[in-house]
Amino acid sequence: MLNKKTIQEINLATEKIRNFFNKEGFLEIQTPILNKIPGMEPHLTPFETSFTNDTKLYLNTSPELQMKKLLANGFEKIFNITKVFRNGEIGGPLHNPEFTMLEWYRKNANYEDIMEDCENLVISLVNSKTINYQNHQINIEKPWERISINELFIKYCDINLLENKDFESFKATAISKKLDINACHNWDDIFFKIFLNHIEKHLGFNKATIVYDYPSSQAALAQKKKSEPFFAERFELYIAGVELANAFSELIDANEQRERLIEEQKLRKSLNKTVFDIDEEFLASLESIIEPCSGIALGIDRLLMILLNKSDIKDVILFPLENYLNK
Amino acid sequence: MTSTTNIVKGIAINFKHGSWLISEAQFVSPGKGSAFTRTKLKNLKTDQVIEHTFRSGESVDLIDVVRKKGQYLYKDNENFYFMDNETYEQFSLPKSAIGDNSRFLLDGTDVYILHIDGNPISVQLPPKMDFKVIQAPPGVKGDTATGGSKEVTIETGTKIKVPLFIKEGESIKINTDDGSYVSKA
Repeated sequence: MLNKKTIQEINLATEKIRNFFNKEGFLEIQTPILNKIPGMEPHLTPFETSFTNDTKLYLNTSPELQMKKLLANGFEKIFNITKVFRNGEIGGPLHNPEFTMLEWYRKNANYEDIMEDCENLVISLVNSKTINYQNHQINIEKPWERISINELFIKYCDINLLENKDFESFKATAISKKLDINACHNWDDIFFKIFLNHIEKHLGFNKATIVYDYPSSQAALAQKKKSEPFFAERFELYIAGVELANAFSELIDANEQRERLIEEQKLRKSLNKTVFDIDEEFLASLESIIEPCSGIALGIDRLLMILLNKSDIKDVILFPLENYLNK
Repeated sequence: MTSTTNIVKGIAINFKHGSWLISEAQFVSPGKGSAFTRTKLKNLKTDQVIEHTFRSGESVDLIDVVRKKGQYLYKDNENFYFMDNETYEQFSLPKSAIGDNSRFLLDGTDVYILHIDGNPISVQLPPKMDFKVIQAPPGVKGDTATGGSKEVTIETGTKIKVPLFIKEGESIKINTDDGSYVSKA
C-alpha cells in the first residue's frame, strides 16, 4: 500500500505536469473513457461492456482518436490526463491493466517538436541534472540521446533493416547471426524478438534516450517518412530501459489513413481478435486538418516510478489489479 | 520430451544446452507488437541467471522436475550438505548450485530439493520464511508514515532492510526470492 508521502509526491508531480502544459499554452481537456469505437491497434485488447440496449461499448485504450477530432475542431494545443484500459496487460513491474495516460497534441508541429516537449517536461519535474533510479544515474540535460531504430539494429546486431525489408531476408539474416527468432511468424515478430532480447536493455541508462523512425508497419496513425517510407515518424522515449512514451507526426491524409486502418482490420482478423468498425467521424475530421500535427502518449505511472525511484508500477498505484486477480 | 506454450514462473525448461528454472515471467507488449513474455531463467546446475524474451505462445521443452522435502545440514568450503526427508540419505550440492539461497540457510532448515532424472540438482526455499532479528540499531523515533527503513541482521548473518519499528529479538517474515521484508512473524 502506498504511504502518505508517496501519494503527496505523486500529487505534486501531477500538479507540476499540469503547470508545465498550462505555461506552454496548452488547454487541458478530458475525453470520455467509455466509447463506441475503440482504437484499432492490432495487438491491443479493449475491455468490452454494453449499454442497456445491447450496444457494445469499450473502455478506451488511448484517447488518441478523440484528441485528433479536437484538433480538427480548431483546437491548437491540447493535453489530457486520463485513465486508459488494456485487457490482458498484467504481470511484471511495468503493467497494470488500468493506468494513467498523459497525451498532448500540437498543430503546426512534427515529432521533433514533441521530442523537445519531452525534454522540457521532464526537466521541469526534476530539480537536478540527473535522475537516480535503481542504482543508475541518468543524465537528463538537453539534448537527449537521439538514435534511430535502424541505427540501433546496426549498432547492437549488425543488421541494416533497409537491407532486410521482407520476412524471408530478415529471417535468413537473423539465423546467420544466430539470433533467436523461434515462433516468429512475420517481419514484426522478428523485429520485436531481436529488439527485446538484444537492444531494449541498453536504452536510456546513461542519458534519457529518444528512439525514432519505427517501421511503418508498426505505426498506422503516423506519417511515413518522405525520404524512406519504410519508416514512419514515430518515436519512443526510454529512461533506464523503461519505455515511457510513444509519439507520432500524425498522419492527416484521410485516404491513406483509411487504407492503413483497413490493413489493421485485416491484421486483427488474422489474429482472431474482434474487428472494430472504422471510426468515420475520425476520418471525416482529418479532412479538415490542414496543418501538420504531432502528438504523444506518455504513461504517467511509469514516469512516476522513475521520478520516485520505485522498482515496480504497483508501488505508485493504489490497489493494483494484480493483487486481486491472483487471490 | 513434452512441450508447453505456457511460459510461466516455476516451470523448468531445456534452453541453450542447459536446464533452467523460470524464476520470473512477465508480460511485455512492445507498443504496436504481438505479446511477448520476458523471463528470468535460473540455471539449475550453476545458479547463473539470464534474461530471455519469448514470444507468447512459443513452445518450449519442459523438464520434469521432481520436488522433494529435505533438510539443510551443514556446509564446508566447497559444498552444502542436505538430507532427503524420506530416505534419510545425505548428499551434497556445490556452492554454485545454492547461490543466493545460502543467505537463508540455517542448520536444520527445511527446504525443497529439486531432482532431474533422479539426481538432486538444486534447492528451493519456501517463498516466505521467518527469522529472528539478532541485531538492530535502536528504534529511531520518527514519522512512520514516511516509510523510513533501517538495516538489521537476522540469525543467518544476512542483513535485511526493515521498517523502523522492528526491534532486536523479534521475528520477521522475509520473501526469500528477493530478500525483502514482508511483515512481523
